[in-house]
Amino acid sequence: MVRLRSENQQSSQDDKSLANDAYQQFLTFLLGNQVLGIDILEIKEIIETTRITRIPKTPAYIRGVINLRGNIVPVIDLSARLYQYASELSKLSCIVLVEVELNHEMHMVGALIDQVNEILDIAEADLLPAPDFGTEIRIDFIKAMGKVNNEFITLLAIERILSIIELAEFQSITQENNQQFQTSEVSK
Amino acid sequence: MNDLDAALTVFIQEAEELLIQMEQGLLLLEETPSDKESINNVFRAMHTIKGSAGLFGLEHVVAFCHCVETVMDAIRKNQRAIDKQIISVLLSCKDFCSELIEYNLSNQSPTLPERLAETSNQLIQQLHADHALISKAPLDKEPEITAIKSVLPEDNWLIILKFHTNALRNGIDPIAFISFLKGKGSIVTIQTLTPELPIDFSFDSESCYLQFHIVFHTPLAKPDIAKIFEFAEDDCDIRLLPPDSKIEQYLKLLQASEYDADGVKEIEKLGEILTNIGALTASEINQALQQQEQNQAKRLGEILVEQQFTEQVVVTQALQKQESEREKASKAANYIRVDATKLGRLINLVGELVISGASINLLAQRYRLTELDEAAAHMSGLVSEIRDSALQLRMVSIGETFSRFKRVVRDVSTELNKQIELVVTGGETELDKALVEKINDPLTHLIRNALDHGIELPEQRLASGKPAQGNIYLNAYHDSGHIVIEVADDGAGLNADKILAKAIKNGLVTENQQLSQQEIFNLIFAAGLSTKDQANNLSGRGVGMDVVRKNILALRGAVNVTSQQGVGTTITIRLPLTLAIIDGFMVVAENERYIIPLNMIEECVEMNASEWKIDTIKHYINLRGEVLPYLRLADYFQNRTQHIPTDHRESLVVVKMANKKIGLVVDELQGEHQTVIKPLGKIFERLQGVSGATILGNGDVALILDVQGLIQHAMHDTNTSYQSSMIANSY
Repeated sequence: MVRLRSENQQSSQDDKSLANDAYQQFLTFLLGNQVLGIDILEIKEIIETTRITRIPKTPAYIRGVINLRGNIVPVIDLSARLYQYASELSKLSCIVLVEVELNHEMHMVGALIDQVNEILDIAEADLLPAPDFGTEIRIDFIKAMGKVNNEFITLLAIERILSIIELAEFQSITQENNQQFQTSEVSK
Repeated sequence: MNDLDAALTVFIQEAEELLIQMEQGLLLLEETPSDKESINNVFRAMHTIKGSAGLFGLEHVVAFCHCVETVMDAIRKNQRAIDKQIISVLLSCKDFCSELIEYNLSNQSPTLPERLAETSNQLIQQLHADHALISKAPLDKEPEITAIKSVLPEDNWLIILKFHTNALRNGIDPIAFISFLKGKGSIVTIQTLTPELPIDFSFDSESCYLQFHIVFHTPLAKPDIAKIFEFAEDDCDIRLLPPDSKIEQYLKLLQASEYDADGVKEIEKLGEILTNIGALTASEINQALQQQEQNQAKRLGEILVEQQFTEQVVVTQALQKQESEREKASKAANYIRVDATKLGRLINLVGELVISGASINLLAQRYRLTELDEAAAHMSGLVSEIRDSALQLRMVSIGETFSRFKRVVRDVSTELNKQIELVVTGGETELDKALVEKINDPLTHLIRNALDHGIELPEQRLASGKPAQGNIYLNAYHDSGHIVIEVADDGAGLNADKILAKAIKNGLVTENQQLSQQEIFNLIFAAGLSTKDQANNLSGRGVGMDVVRKNILALRGAVNVTSQQGVGTTITIRLPLTLAIIDGFMVVAENERYIIPLNMIEECVEMNASEWKIDTIKHYINLRGEVLPYLRLADYFQNRTQHIPTDHRESLVVVKMANKKIGLVVDELQGEHQTVIKPLGKIFERLQGVSGATILGNGDVALILDVQGLIQHAMHDTNTSYQSSMIANSY
């Protein structure tokens, strides 16, 4: 069963607590023409795109960094991360801010998306495991498939997608460079 | 936390501090074995730990400390010689003691585990083994006797001893003190008083009811006499009344000390003044201060006179002196202990202030408000002053870190049968507290390396015509916005052939590569390279030097090694002074703004692109006859191999790192900018070429360039594309 939140804003207190037990809320958004969802409990806030400063020599999925109230926050191009092609910025582009844990510390990471859709309540019974293959994006990036009006929406495992360790993997390239550097330094 | 837990925490802290004092005392003793103060410090540390451990029922600690204390007592009484050997044993005792406390706290079982029990027994045996008892060493009695004769008979001290009732139970023997006094001078008269002796059945044969008035004749000064009774302080009220001649002496001393050499003396407290001239002992002051606490209305001087600690004339004179000093030095230097997090918050706020100051400047310029511009300029001057003094707050001298290595050097050199001394200079050099903590590990590593690989065995040193004792030098100094730390030894030096052979064996270099000596030395920072044939527990496993380098690079520093075979090795570490704010220089390249640390910039040159005579192959220009390699920042960051020539003017920023220069070609120069460094976060932790970011006045983010990383990265890229002409003499 699916209910649009806007239709249920007047629902009674009892109904809400029931919904909390049996439903989960997801933010759906557009990435190109794909509709995807993220558990709203994982989302810290959503902001309009501000000026993103590029970071040189980083992979395409790292869009850059922004100034979030005095803190530097990295922004990941979700489209590049999932589908390997970069988002084009538009007036509807948004940055979804998520806190990711690493070594018991929370780190703020932004995900660039093309457009925010709506918030959906999806009954737990309608959350189905991801198929073993056949998806366009990596299987471990999918938390579940949500059945909405007999269609499936891919619900993302955002913690997994924005895993600091994995995002920082390009470091190991630099590290290798470093090693090579040491030998090449010698080679002259 | 209940009261006992709280007390226990205090005990642990206290024990830690005492053990550190003990270690320092022992290390001092090694240099000057006759230092009575150090001997007493060590003794007191053990004594206090024993006492407090007893309160908490830590039986093992009490038992062990007792053994050590006994030995120290013997040393104190000159019944036992102090030598290197016993100091070593005592140092291990100190280590074991802290281990024991730790164990005993978590485990109250009556038997020690075998390992600890064994160590304990071993140490105790070692303590008693070399029982080098001094057969009542021929003390230099002669001068004392003549000295006594020279003192006039009326120069007599009056010593009043009032023993507490518990004195006997606590092991204090009044007779012992009196007979000890005889050795230090002559007792003219002695009067025994027993005003507290009960005449009824409450008399207890184990209690002490005795008081003595002793007229004592001695050339000793007051602190020395007090020292005799130091041990009984807790169980006895002691008054030492000086002879008349002494009072005159004190007054003279007071006048003399008034004019100190530099004239900028700190204001001393009354008590300090009196102790300094020897009119009072520290314990008397403490006693008087305690009384003052109970009776707030009274002044310290009144109490001192009332308690017959000293004479009214002396106090008056001392108070006068104190007053005059107070006037002289109104800017007394005193310290406040501040929570580091509070300081961190202040520095963060100052950082924000710098940012908002920059934004006001920007607005003033944009709207051309001359008056506001002036006010803003004045403010930014103030802000930068505030910034500097806020950062100054975090500065600590590196001396404490350096002195910690004394123990390392001592222990390791003994273990390796080498004679090594640590020579520390520049300990007063200041650097950021955060850096001090992070530099500790790399330094330890370098020192261990120098101990193990650097300094040779004494025989080898003698054979090669050097003194048997090797030296390790730790030095620190400031150099153009950086702190430089040097770890040097006068040992064997690096063996270039051996390093090269090992590097070829490990596949780090191929045999036909031609390397300069410097390049070979830098190989020691590569992972997995150790020239030591056999690894031991100190070093030689080939990990470490690469970690040292990595750590230092992470602090935006650099490390370099120079060495001469047979003469020694010097490792130089360059670090930025602070991690928080730098003076930067803002440039623009393809609409992105970058900050280059100002102290790295040698000069800026503005030229028309056509003057450059650049082709796509060569990436160097002729700058006043010098070959200067350059990077076109935008192309480089976009990974473009070919430059698309444009007509607009470009600028060249010449940056200098250590002794290398390169040029950075940018579109626009925007001038100096106070830069608050913000971390880029975990994802970009080891990104090369960019060391951090900053937030500009308009809220945009600009990246701070890591010049060193850029140079290295560029060199790597050039090498992979076989353009080795780029930097003539690299790294």
